[in-house]
Amino acid sequence: MPELGRAALLVTLGLSLYALVAGAYAAYHGRRRLARSAQNALVASFVSTAVAALVLLSALLRNDFSFAYVARTTSVALPTPYTISAFWGGQEGSLLLWLLILTGFGAAAVSLNRRWARDLIVWVVPVFAAVATFFSFLVVAVASPFVTQPAPPDGAGMTPSLQNPYMLAHPPLLYLGYVGLTVPFAFAMGALLSGRLDERWLIATRRWTLFAWAALGVGQLLGSHWAYVEVGWGGYYAWDPVENAALMPWLAATAFLHSVMIQEKRGMLKIWNVLLVILAFSLALFGTFLTRSGVVNSIHSFTESSIGPWFLGFIALTVAVSLVVVLRRVPLLRSPTKLESPISREAAFLYNNLLLLALCLAILWGVVYPMLSEAVRGESVVLGRSYYDFFLRAFGLPLLLLMGIGPLIAWRRASLRSLATTFRWPTIVALATGALLLWRGAGSSVPGLVAYTFSAFVITTIVMEFARGTRARKALGATSWFGAFTSLIGRNRRRYGGYVVHAAVVLFAIGVAGSSAFDSVAEAKLVRGESMHIGNYTLVYRSLSEHAGANATEIRATLGVRRGDHDLGTLQAGKNAYTIEQQVSNEVGIRSDKLTGEDLFVIAEQIDPNGTVYFRVFVKPLVNLIWLAGLVFLLGSVITLWPDRREQRRLVARASAVGLPATR
Amino acid sequence: MARNASPARLVIALSVAAVLAVFLLYTSIAGGGNPSVSPSELAGRTGAVQLAGVVVGPVTGDAHAGGLRFKLRDIAAKSTTAVAVRYSGSIPDLFKVGRHIVVNGQLERGTFVAQPNSLITKCPSKYAPKKSTSSA
Repeated sequence: MPELGRAALLVTLGLSLYALVAGAYAAYHGRRRLARSAQNALVASFVSTAVAALVLLSALLRNDFSFAYVARTTSVALPTPYTISAFWGGQEGSLLLWLLILTGFGAAAVSLNRRWARDLIVWVVPVFAAVATFFSFLVVAVASPFVTQPAPPDGAGMTPSLQNPYMLAHPPLLYLGYVGLTVPFAFAMGALLSGRLDERWLIATRRWTLFAWAALGVGQLLGSHWAYVEVGWGGYYAWDPVENAALMPWLAATAFLHSVMIQEKRGMLKIWNVLLVILAFSLALFGTFLTRSGVVNSIHSFTESSIGPWFLGFIALTVAVSLVVVLRRVPLLRSPTKLESPISREAAFLYNNLLLLALCLAILWGVVYPMLSEAVRGESVVLGRSYYDFFLRAFGLPLLLLMGIGPLIAWRRASLRSLATTFRWPTIVALATGALLLWRGAGSSVPGLVAYTFSAFVITTIVMEFARGTRARKALGATSWFGAFTSLIGRNRRRYGGYVVHAAVVLFAIGVAGSSAFDSVAEAKLVRGESMHIGNYTLVYRSLSEHAGANATEIRATLGVRRGDHDLGTLQAGKNAYTIEQQVSNEVGIRSDKLTGEDLFVIAEQIDPNGTVYFRVFVKPLVNLIWLAGLVFLLGSVITLWPDRREQRRLVARASAVGLPATR
Repeated sequence: MARNASPARLVIALSVAAVLAVFLLYTSIAGGGNPSVSPSELAGRTGAVQLAGVVVGPVTGDAHAGGLRFKLRDIAAKSTTAVAVRYSGSIPDLFKVGRHIVVNGQLERGTFVAQPNSLITKCPSKYAPKKSTSSA
């Protein structure tokens, strides 16, 4: 079996190398049949990678410990779902997953677009193949998942905190996102290399980019939720390099999704868009590198491994080659139109882009600072939480406000008078909200208060947009208000899906502001029967229990919870002691208030043999809005992603109406 | 991309400048973060640092009463110097003898006094093979 896996990967390497060399030659010399054969090789490489993936999967499911990878990441006692998740639990497996998704996406994106964008596709294929060659080389020569050994009686097991349903979805979603960003990159490169710099590469990749971006966003939120309920330190994001690794490409992709609209509507920002795509893809590679190389001190640091230099080399090569290609095409990328006024929708989108990029680069700077300072000053300096928090406020709050302004301001040139009319109500609502909150005592945190005020502004603009659109559709003859509402969204999915995503971002901002700026904490060492207070909650430590679970001993302290005079029942917090893995993990107790979105979060930090427990308790207002935001974000993404034949036909018609050759 | 000067260009230039200004403002006020050092480099340092090392037993004391006491040595294992550490606050699940940890604090009369709740453990190496022991 391992031989089959190794052979399949070798075939993948051969096929992608062929697709790279033959594809590039065919594109350069205009050989159609050879180009076709390179495309087929790319599709075939997906099949051979899938075979390798099936071999690994079956080895995991059979507990075949003669595979070193299986022995290292699983054990006999590990429940089946987690045995499957061990596929991406270790380095070799996750690289194989990368390759599998990459070849799959490549095959699909090329096949779907080869009819109407043939002259582009011939150049897209070798770009995909180059990335696939790199990853298949890694799994063949550097980090093979098919290394064998004399089978030990049992495997080493899986780190307890990863034995969690979130870990079934969080890593694959991030990979879908990282790899998905390869698609716009390959098409942008294809467009640049072929010199066909019309809008087709944007049309062909819009959904792929959206999908990758949505997967990255949802994947990160799942990771945060996992950290919140499972890791149990009371937070959900720690600005850890590995967390930032996923945030940076997401920010770059967000910037791209916005600026691309300016190119579609006004033909501007072409160079900028290409650069953003390159940045997003490079950051996705860099993210994989950070996660997988262990060069930075991270709480995650899964591995300290040999793939680091290879990755760094490939990233450098990608950036260098892409920039050379862009530079050579600069004359073709000049825009026919230019920015007319600093107060216009174009300008608002540009500010949004600058802020997103500034935030992204500030985070990047923080991530690489320890390495840079080590190289320059001989001393590694780590930038802490306050650094990131500062920039999140400095760039994030204006972004929040812009989210309300951008979609409503006029194209080209907006007059100040029209602005006053458009934003009269949002401004009044925002100021009233701010004043009300100040009166209720929210002044304890200025950034928090500002975030709430801006959020009120944005929500008002979104509600007004939906109301205005629905009224217009009703006037156009929709039978019911509900019908008007749904047809409004159905007829312009991008726009209204986008508003839904904006609403999600506002919910997220409110949740973050509430839980980080207005939270409270208390800690105490309690003997059974004693109680502690936090806010208007009273907690009484009632009892301590111990029982044997499937693969861990579970110790739980039971607390009675009261708020004011209301009895809210009991809450359990404790620890699990995992036998095989010889580790202990915190199992926190969380009580969510469905109505206010507030969490009572209890950690049993230290359990003494005599039954005394040291508790650490948080009250986090509005924190549940963050998870709600995740659902709304998903809804908005699905609305924008939903197949829309009418729109696709219109775009294709427009692209070919400009007099572009559909075939070569 | 516009070749003629326009007010819009000026605004963009100004906003880029504003972003840079914010950046400079931050670095001048906050002055960057903590230097990250290993136990063997700690001797003679007075300011706050981030100390990264391997936990050496015995681990004694109570993190919530008087402080947890243990020693840290270099991860690179070249030197045998171990620094005594006193820590209070929450202890991560993965903390135990032999683990790589990172903790903030400063040296006071031969003992590294850690800031409360600053201890971070790195994920155990069981999760993936250990090929080299040094990390930058």
